[in-house]
Amino acid sequence: MIYTIVYGLTIGAILYFISIGFSLTFGTMRVINFAHTITYTIGVYILITLVNFLKWHFHFGVLFAILTVIPIGYLIERFIIRRLYGESLDYTFIATFAIALIGVDAIKWIWGVRPYPISDPIGSYITLWGLSLPTYRILIVVIAILLFFALNLFFKKTIVGKIVIAALEDKDGVRCLGINVNKYFSIVFVLGSALAALGGVLYAPMSSVHPYMGLSILLLSFAVIIVGGMGNLNGTFISAFTLGMVMSITARYWSQGAETMVFIVMATVLIFRPIDI
Amino acid sequence: MENYFKRKSGEDLPNSIGMFSRDRGIIGLILIAIFFLLATPLLSTHRVTDFMIFCIFAMSFDLLYGYMGRLSFGHMLYLGTGAYGCGLFINYISGNFLLAIFIGVVFAGLLAMILGLITVRATGACFALINLAFNHIGFFLVLSPLRGITRGEDGFGVSPSKLGFLNLSSRPAMFVFVLICLLLVFYFLRKLTSSPYGILIRSIKEDETRVRFLGYNTFLYKWLTFVIAGGIAGLAGVLTALNYNFVNPNAMDVNGNVGVVFACLIGGSGHLYGAIIGGMIYMVISNFLPIYIYRWEMFLGFSLLIIVFRFRMGVWGYLQKFFDYLERGGVVSRFLKREAI
Repeated sequence: MIYTIVYGLTIGAILYFISIGFSLTFGTMRVINFAHTITYTIGVYILITLVNFLKWHFHFGVLFAILTVIPIGYLIERFIIRRLYGESLDYTFIATFAIALIGVDAIKWIWGVRPYPISDPIGSYITLWGLSLPTYRILIVVIAILLFFALNLFFKKTIVGKIVIAALEDKDGVRCLGINVNKYFSIVFVLGSALAALGGVLYAPMSSVHPYMGLSILLLSFAVIIVGGMGNLNGTFISAFTLGMVMSITARYWSQGAETMVFIVMATVLIFRPIDI
Repeated sequence: MENYFKRKSGEDLPNSIGMFSRDRGIIGLILIAIFFLLATPLLSTHRVTDFMIFCIFAMSFDLLYGYMGRLSFGHMLYLGTGAYGCGLFINYISGNFLLAIFIGVVFAGLLAMILGLITVRATGACFALINLAFNHIGFFLVLSPLRGITRGEDGFGVSPSKLGFLNLSSRPAMFVFVLICLLLVFYFLRKLTSSPYGILIRSIKEDETRVRFLGYNTFLYKWLTFVIAGGIAGLAGVLTALNYNFVNPNAMDVNGNVGVVFACLIGGSGHLYGAIIGGMIYMVISNFLPIYIYRWEMFLGFSLLIIVFRFRMGVWGYLQKFFDYLERGGVVSRFLKREAI
């Protein structure tokens, strides 16, 4: 049972990393960013190139992968999404989906379709109450909790964070104060992309790496933000861990149905809560 | 506000459908039939049948996206449900294909009724993603938990028995049958979209709050449209199953949705002719281009970007502009005026 809980917490942490950026981009810019899949996947592939082929150390690989994703995220925001602000949401969705298609095909071109394995970088176990738990998973959960506090600090204490929070509430109001909202939107977007890449590289040792890996994780994080509320930081944190637990408990009894159960939870929430989006 | 001005200039008025106004509806049907009959010698009969099925699918998607303004990225779910409903009925219960078609459409419609209660309340990209999530579940269910019935990835064969003089295993019979289905669907959707109901769902696209203020129960109409679109997509699925004599999870593949979105956009969303033109364009591209272009998905992605940024009206939008020009004072009407004098 402890294993199930630890597994659920790990999945929850990964979902948190990915859905926070998704949630922030939606909350501020009203854009469902399908290109999130591609920043996530590219991060993982860069990590694989560095660790498996160039024999870098895992930690440097993670750092470098995230640093590479940042300019990619900026380019997507600057040249595609910024040109579609204020237009129909459907066009933005289709445009970001098109980016995802291009990215997936580029990955297939460069790295091929074959799935790559990547091993657990730490490989040691911690013994707690007579149970041996993989250190790596516990580390992920710790990172997620630290990130939660760091983000809270960022949004409550720094001026950039405060502007973003204000823009979540009322974009036009912030604009009236003479603040260039677009600049902060790109910061949010790049932050979200970097966090997606972080989630991806941390999740890679536990899952298989293939070009289409982004789609199912994007749908899961969409379920997370539906359950937690769009642009709601604390809600996203709680719902990510809850849905992670739902996944792991379902997987314990019916290993194939883990993802389905998440969507069933999402549908139930949608029935009982009005969606004003 | 932008839409308001457009409406004033008479381009987007629900009743003005360019040169194909109400009394010329039959001409439209005949033109479509001639178009597909002419296409058969160029391509092959089997291919054209396939193209027509995709056009039916594109029209059902267009009802949802072009007319009601709800972009669904999970429309393949209903196509797949129709295909599986029909295939399973023929395999396990009876070989009567007319009944199987009915069952397939009803299955897809029922599924749309249940899921529509949830999805229809969302708008914009959320609607798209919720549908995508359901499509993902459906694909997964067919692939592994229901493996016992659906045979998972391998799929199963569908062989309908003969029914009197109707024998769908011959290619020309199938072609004619699908063509009749296409024309019926087209006629039905034309009637539907030019009726007060059709104007209402267009108004929902423009401004839903205002329609609600007028006292209409918008939820009911959105739900009804969703069910109709689901049912017609189910019909397309049934025909796919009968055309290939085979059903496998590809019929429900999540990635298939890109195709129909592309078709709808390039043809010009919000027009049935646009859906048919777009469907043909997409099918021709997807059938012949991958032979020459190896990076097919990338091509699709770039062309979607170009459409979103530069080509929003679609092919039919430009054609309509051209017809309008002709009618308003172009070459033809000047010529006709001179004849009258």
